[in-house]
Amino acid sequence: MPTRRTLLVQLPAAAIAGSFASRTVFAAEKSITIGITVPLTGSDAEGAILIRNGAMMAVDDANAEGGVAGYTINVITLDNGTTTAGQYDPAQAATNARKLVADQSVVANVGPEMSGSGKAMAAIMSRGNLATITPSSTNPDITDPKFASQFAPAGKAIYFRTVTTDAYQGPNMANYMAQVLKVKKVYILDDSGAYGVGMANAFEEQAKKNGMTVLGHDELDPREADYATILTKIKALKPDALYYGGVSLAGIKVAKQSYDIMPDIIKAGGDGVYGAPMLKGSGFPAMEGWYATIAAPYIAENPDVKPWIERYTKKYGQGPGAYSFTAYDGTLVILDAIKRVAATGKPVTRDAVRDAIQTTHLKTLQGEVSFDENGDINSRTVSVFRCYHNPQYPVEDSLHQYKYLGVAPQTA
Amino acid sequence: MVDYAVLLQQVINGVSLGAMYALLAIGFTLVYGIMELINFAHFNVFMIGSFVGMWALELLGLSGQSQILTGLALVGALAFAFIAAMLTSGVLGVAVERIALRPLRGVGGTTGMITTIGVSYILFNVILLGAGADAKNYPNPMPVVRWEVGGAVIDLREVLIWGISFVLMLGLQLFVSRTRLGKAMRATAQDSEAARMMGVDVDRVIVTAFFLGSALAGAAALIFGLYYNYTSFLIGYTAGLRAFTAAVLGGIGSITGAMLGGIIIGLIETLGGQLIAVRWTDVIIFSILVLVLVFAPSGLLGRAAPTKS
Repeated sequence: MPTRRTLLVQLPAAAIAGSFASRTVFAAEKSITIGITVPLTGSDAEGAILIRNGAMMAVDDANAEGGVAGYTINVITLDNGTTTAGQYDPAQAATNARKLVADQSVVANVGPEMSGSGKAMAAIMSRGNLATITPSSTNPDITDPKFASQFAPAGKAIYFRTVTTDAYQGPNMANYMAQVLKVKKVYILDDSGAYGVGMANAFEEQAKKNGMTVLGHDELDPREADYATILTKIKALKPDALYYGGVSLAGIKVAKQSYDIMPDIIKAGGDGVYGAPMLKGSGFPAMEGWYATIAAPYIAENPDVKPWIERYTKKYGQGPGAYSFTAYDGTLVILDAIKRVAATGKPVTRDAVRDAIQTTHLKTLQGEVSFDENGDINSRTVSVFRCYHNPQYPVEDSLHQYKYLGVAPQTA
Repeated sequence: MVDYAVLLQQVINGVSLGAMYALLAIGFTLVYGIMELINFAHFNVFMIGSFVGMWALELLGLSGQSQILTGLALVGALAFAFIAAMLTSGVLGVAVERIALRPLRGVGGTTGMITTIGVSYILFNVILLGAGADAKNYPNPMPVVRWEVGGAVIDLREVLIWGISFVLMLGLQLFVSRTRLGKAMRATAQDSEAARMMGVDVDRVIVTAFFLGSALAGAAALIFGLYYNYTSFLIGYTAGLRAFTAAVLGGIGSITGAMLGGIIIGLIETLGGQLIAVRWTDVIIFSILVLVLVFAPSGLLGRAAPTKS
């Protein structure tokens, strides 16, 4: 019978021996971690869940097939939202970036959803040389070499995107408004966030180039309840269209109150007004007729993608959103990079994974993904949608409540 | 060039907002008048009231804005929602007083106020955890009826808001000026020690003040939901701070002052937004708060100097 002392000595030794044994004998138990950082708390939660689910599809598929190059893929999910912000919170995103960088098992990250979070995370990720692939954050500054000292201080691109940026999303919608909708006078609102301000400014610049009259551009406080004052002011200026750059926290109130005050004008926004949070919070009739864009090709009606959508819907009990596809694509890019690093025989480190992501040429749901030297996707497609209520489907089902209208015209 | 139709529209918007702020401000003022306590839990009692009103309407099978009721059914549904929101908020206000504040009675300084901040956060997080963080689409069974007046549009909703607010404030004013309990409230506000010596049950007066103030916040909350077709766990803070400013501007402790202050703040918000810029309205409103506190702490209708010893 072992005494307490022998037990104390023997147990750790046995544990160490055991772990060595398992490492050598069962190669498949090697594991590496990828992060998923999206705002699961607050008003962005529903969109964030669609992204997380898209990413998890890719991870679960890979693990079901025995992992990637012998590695089981672990996932660490971090919440970029807080109750104090009520939506995504850049301060929390920065904290999460530090956590990811500190955890040596993490080789890459999927996220963030929001550009405001991206701006807070990029420098930290850059110093840690940890690559992140965002499926939805579209603010162009983060990957713009002009701001490299701010967002990529270590030099290499670490912020990759499987969507294009607002340098295309805002202006292309301005082109669509001018060329297709024949808008002459527009009023612009944004929600004071990094994404919203960037979108609205890019839109404004191109709208002016297209000869539209910009009657005004105001910033909204997203925690404010009452926008009737500003909307009444806008109504008196008799615009043909209202363009809103921002996410759902302010967007819902803009949709509801502008429906009451000026139901008949053209209303449009970016990918912030595309998706479940807007639909569920605003409902119909407030959302009816809104134009929205996403910064990626629209593939949900593509026959090759149908089986994927069915699999997703079966797995999560709800249909995917536009950025479930890009999240899945982004995760595929990371898994492919891990596989390519492992194939060279080098250790799978975050440095090696970053370099492999940079040279990606991978066939994904949206087509071939490759990146320029700043981390931006080479495809520049912006898709335009319009909201029409389809009562046969749940109100938050974005695949059925938005009708795809086509690709927004590129600036020549 | 000043467009008078737009100004008139902003006045209409401002009075609607102001009526809401006034109802909410009364709660601050009633409690302050009697206990010299700023009750920060009031913010989130208001927020919970809007959720209770929403659940009451959903209980009647209403959702979104496309299910319209008319006539008696509409009156019945609204009455049910108002009673539910006001009663629940009133009881919640009393519970806050009973559980968190009564044990501190006699403890001086800011202890009570800081306790109410804590309670406010608890209420905030209870709703966040229980009801979720997403913005709620508030059921509204009111038909869309609009009248054009001098180029501006008045909604049936707005007329109802004004009417209900007016009736509630008139009722409160009558209660305080005509009933025995109202008289006891006024006596306690003037000098609680003397009132106690004269046989006034001060605890009962305090409970009444909390109940009435919170019930009016419940009414304001339902009005908020019906006006914006929206609620979320976040709404207490901005509306509450403005209502608090309204109470200070009107003269904290004065019920008519709170009503007046509410309307003025509502008008400043909309007319300031129209004539200057929306992003400056918060600066204007909270500058007023600071200026009133520094230069005229008794506000518009407040007592010239506190009579408390």
